[in-house]
Amino acid sequence: MTEHSFTAPHVIAYDYTRSLGPVLSHFVTGLRDGKVKGMRTSTGKVFVPPTEFDPDTYEDLGPDSLVDVADSGVVTSWAWVSDPRPYHPFDRPFAWALVRLDGADTPLVHAVDAGSAEAISTGMRVRARWASERSGSILDIECFEPEGAQ
Amino acid sequence: MANNVAIVGIGQTKHNTQREDLSMPGLVREAAKRALEDAQMTWADIDAIVIGKAPDTFEGLMMPELFLADALGAPGKPILRVHTAGSVGGSTAIVAANLVKAGVHERVLTVAFEKQSESNAMWALAMKIPFAPPLVAGAGGYFAPYVRAYIERHHVPGDIGIRVAVKDTNNGLLNPYAHKQMKVTYEDVRDSMMLWDPIRFLESCPSSDGACAMVLTSESHAESGQARPAWIHGMSWRSEPTMLARQDKVNPVAGQECAKDVYAQAGITDPRKEIDCAEVYVPFSWFEPKWLENLFFAPEGEGWKLTEEGATALDGDIPWNMSGGVICTNPIGASGMLRFAEAAMQVRGQAGEHQVDGASTALGHAYGGGSQFFAMWVVRDSKP
Repeated sequence: MTEHSFTAPHVIAYDYTRSLGPVLSHFVTGLRDGKVKGMRTSTGKVFVPPTEFDPDTYEDLGPDSLVDVADSGVVTSWAWVSDPRPYHPFDRPFAWALVRLDGADTPLVHAVDAGSAEAISTGMRVRARWASERSGSILDIECFEPEGAQ
Repeated sequence: MANNVAIVGIGQTKHNTQREDLSMPGLVREAAKRALEDAQMTWADIDAIVIGKAPDTFEGLMMPELFLADALGAPGKPILRVHTAGSVGGSTAIVAANLVKAGVHERVLTVAFEKQSESNAMWALAMKIPFAPPLVAGAGGYFAPYVRAYIERHHVPGDIGIRVAVKDTNNGLLNPYAHKQMKVTYEDVRDSMMLWDPIRFLESCPSSDGACAMVLTSESHAESGQARPAWIHGMSWRSEPTMLARQDKVNPVAGQECAKDVYAQAGITDPRKEIDCAEVYVPFSWFEPKWLENLFFAPEGEGWKLTEEGATALDGDIPWNMSGGVICTNPIGASGMLRFAEAAMQVRGQAGEHQVDGASTALGHAYGGGSQFFAMWVVRDSKP
């Protein structure tokens, strides 16, 4: 008697939605309008993306505490992607980076279109390259690019 | 020696089909903040957090304890996630209570939730497993044959499910937090669409967004709350296999054993006489007569008679599901905790329009999976 061990594919897929609530809804509509919003918390620090509640006291933070921050800032850390994969934002080498925008106290993760690994460094200044068509998403910022680049 | 455990704060959201005004953190915080306010405490007063929700496929939220830790004030404190399918709200409360009972923590915040509008809970329960027959279309499809078996085993009149649905749905009108807010007649329920024969649309629970939270404390903090504390006199949980063919899903052994354990702890020998009111997990109306027997409020085969004679109505001798129950509100992960919380609200005198006068002993109950997980507690207005 031959022994068999059977296998079968088991693919599970469901559609999900997310309700953003009052704070993050302002953040994404801000992005659609070409503005980056941060949240000023009880210690005076500005968080980008904004938090819905205070990270120290856990009290609610509402849209009233949102502040505009700049769309340019400083790279605080980065990882170079020398061999981009199909789902990456670029088909050419680029960096994933933490960018602390001017007016913010926390860094935001995003892609930096720096051209070459030699062209990116911690402490360098970058600014947002806005997508021409925006829908209310973090991808409304296409990427960051070195300040002064065309 | 084990410590006494008090319930000193209770909060819940307004439950609805879709709370699109709130994010998931916002939803759990609405309930948690109300529980803290009721306990007259702040986030800083809490020593540990225990959170529960039903299967992760419901919202596609893996590791809710990770995602929601900061929303619940957990940094620097322990947070623990519990999962036992539909009974999870009850099991979560018991885990939290055990932390106090064992003397590990003094003040524990426990929260349970589901935001079912972020996906489709019915189909999330209906995954087709390779080599298994695709029989399940949501919980109703799973339970319908066992309801039929109950009716036939005991020759039960066919309209008992209708009577339960009328009672529970109309009770929901007395509860401002209930999801379903509709007055229904016997004819409304009878003529509603047959979804999973013999279960009709109005005999079924809705799909809700909602959360429930409680603050549980040791004796030294028991007087913190706005209302007198509820005291836990017995709590227990049991499980059994879901798919094993020999299981009796009409009157599951695990449910019976869970009830016996809780009653023994609370010194209860005749639950119908000694319990003033019960909030029991009835997601399909036919589960009231089934659970009346499973929980020993009536002899086997005779639970339906209590429903028929009105004993379980708000003005009956043993009111069941004063809040409108799961028939009115079903954010699955929170549903069990809402039952436990309603029992505690009753003995604290906090139940408003659905308060049972003078309730001093109440039962909270939850079940989940394929009648697989059971969780119960008995609470009183006096210390054990």
